[in-house]
Amino acid sequence: MSLLEISNVTKKYGEVTVLDDVSITVEAGEIIAIIGRSGSGKSTLLRCINGLERVQAGSIVVDGVRVNDPQTDLRKLRQHVGIVFQSYNLFPHYSVARNITLAPTVVKGMPEEKAREIAIDVLRRVGLEDKVDAYPNQLSGGQQQRVAIARSLAMQPKLMLFDEITSALDPELTGEVLKVLEDMARSGMTMALVTHEMGFARRFAARVLFMHQGKVWEEGRASEVLANPRTPEMKTFLSAVLH
Amino acid sequence: MIRQFGVIDVLFLVSAIRWTVLLTLAAFGGGALIGLLIAVMRVSNVFALRALAICFIQFVQGTPLLVILFVFFFGLPIFGLPVLPWIAATAAFSIYAGAFLGEIWRGALQTIPRTQWEAGSSLGLSFVEQLRWIIIPQAVRIAIPPTVGFLVQLIKNTSLAATIGFVELTREGQMTTASTFQPFTVYITVAFFYFLMCFPLSQWSRTLERKLHVAA
Repeated sequence: MSLLEISNVTKKYGEVTVLDDVSITVEAGEIIAIIGRSGSGKSTLLRCINGLERVQAGSIVVDGVRVNDPQTDLRKLRQHVGIVFQSYNLFPHYSVARNITLAPTVVKGMPEEKAREIAIDVLRRVGLEDKVDAYPNQLSGGQQQRVAIARSLAMQPKLMLFDEITSALDPELTGEVLKVLEDMARSGMTMALVTHEMGFARRFAARVLFMHQGKVWEEGRASEVLANPRTPEMKTFLSAVLH
Repeated sequence: MIRQFGVIDVLFLVSAIRWTVLLTLAAFGGGALIGLLIAVMRVSNVFALRALAICFIQFVQGTPLLVILFVFFFGLPIFGLPVLPWIAATAAFSIYAGAFLGEIWRGALQTIPRTQWEAGSSLGLSFVEQLRWIIIPQAVRIAIPPTVGFLVQLIKNTSLAATIGFVELTREGQMTTASTFQPFTVYITVAFFYFLMCFPLSQWSRTLERKLHVAA
């Protein structure tokens, strides 16, 4: 069974259809990149996967657990599905260490010292172990985003979702965040990224999905889809983002 | 037995201050419990809870405090409950404070961006855990200055309890007036004592507002 199975998902905001009969599967260890114009539904799709948004039809199954089922304990599910946002969303009133240890201690009931060990460990993975006692407002955007990634990693998720995590960063800061993603890719993490970083998508994503008007418009192996777009919509999109 | 307003009367007034203070503290305590509940209901995802909280706030804020006080003092004995002035006063002022604090604290909770809630729930925290660890700690600094400001209102409004025979500062003033026939002198003294309690608090509220605003 695939780690993530999205079947015939439809989502509407009132009359507006945001996701229109979307079906996607992601295998364990696979990396998929979701690209498309703003408003194409790609971020909404990501937010549906961990239950931040509700869907009106279809099913989303993560590791055998159906997300859009009232019986499902979303809190349990979210411990296995990490999400990193465009605007980092760190907790400004806590140190970097506390940002990371909060969920393991509160949700999993982990002892403080054990959680701190994990915090230092995940900070090392994002190259920020020296910032363990800093506060978010003392960090650059790139550093904050790396802390946000570390915060998710500390929950040891099976699936990581990234919602345009480099879009709010200056170009010279996106590199350090992408490097962290590359390390995670090499370690075998299953990832779904909404991204505008075509270079990253080409090198690391197994598959690319192009979304348009709430539908998966084009899908396939990253190198093929990006080099030879079949639809005019994707051609237009690619020429816009690549130049 | 009419006598002059003297040192002994001032001492009586001073000793009555403690009842004003105690009533304020009791009402603030009760109001804080109700207010926290109301504020949390107002930001919850459950429509019925939000609606209930809004009804409560609207009803209390749309009713004179004096009438609420009378409802408790004169109303509850009809149902066979013996109501003592201090119980009626504490209950009425708690409800009044609950509605206002609830509204102040709801405002503070809602200044915290939606994305903070989302970050918490994405990490698996429950609604209450998100409130406890993420939202309330950030909202407190915003809530403190208006809360202290409201405390000043509460202190002054406890004077209404004089109407149901609760002997606090104002009631003590009325009784002193009855035996001295010097209402002007007595009430000026009473006013001065209220001012002594309220002025430092409102100054403190301003300082806090400036301090917390600059730091934010």
